[in-house]
Amino acid sequence: MSDNCNLDAGDTPLAPAVFERTYNTSIEELWALWATKDGFESWWGPEGFRVEVHKLEPRSGGALHYDMIADTPEAIAAMKQMGQPLSHNTKGWYEEFAPHTRLTLKHLIDFIAGTEPYESLIEVDFEALGDMARMIVTAHPHRDAHWTRMSIEGFRGQLTKLDRRYDAG
Amino acid sequence: MQTTFETLADPTRRRIVETLRGGEQQVNDIVLQAGIHQSGVSRHLRILHESGFVSVRPDGQRRFYALRAEPFREMEAWLAGYHQLWEARLDRFGAALERRKSARSRKEPGQ
Repeated sequence: MSDNCNLDAGDTPLAPAVFERTYNTSIEELWALWATKDGFESWWGPEGFRVEVHKLEPRSGGALHYDMIADTPEAIAAMKQMGQPLSHNTKGWYEEFAPHTRLTLKHLIDFIAGTEPYESLIEVDFEALGDMARMIVTAHPHRDAHWTRMSIEGFRGQLTKLDRRYDAG
Repeated sequence: MQTTFETLADPTRRRIVETLRGGEQQVNDIVLQAGIHQSGVSRHLRILHESGFVSVRPDGQRRFYALRAEPFREMEAWLAGYHQLWEARLDRFGAALERRKSARSRKEPGQ
């Protein structure tokens, strides 16, 4: 439970969400998606958004600054409906940075009105499995669920589509 | 939901919730099982009651406290959405890996 995570004790009663994926590729390729500008921009979401990285310092304590930009008509409409800007400057940093082994990425959540800024944490562990590579992502739910909840409500349509895709699979 | 999370963010309240998982109890029993002073238990029970986590059933002079399912269902639903967001994000991660692999194959047709 949260007592075992690195966030301030008592920040959240929720257990972290752990995701494990194995890919038919090298660890270097996985690492590049987390630790290079082109790599990070190619997948970091959420759905309907694109990311423009302004600063990425590949080292422990290095900055990761980017804009998250609504990029589809649905996302733009959802953000307008919620009274949110279409682009948001996001500040994160790599706390741990052990190439091809482990990184931890922290984000400063400073964009929620009426809430003191706080940090969110993502841990990523990498492991080589012969010709394949395994990645374990441990995402610690935000202490303040507002931002994620807004994403969920705003993009329920996209999530429904994903549900259908998974069901079909 | 913010209130829901904030309510359970307190470790003492989490201990009380754990104690009540076995069924409804009076304050004295909660004090004994949770190892918390009665004044603290009463204060935290009030907060848990006000935020919907705990119901109170009077029985003569006695008051029995029990967990309510609704806020836990609400948290479960929120967590399911949180997991879906990450599943979708990692789906895009896999797609990005495939694109990189395809692009490299085009550059290196001999391999």
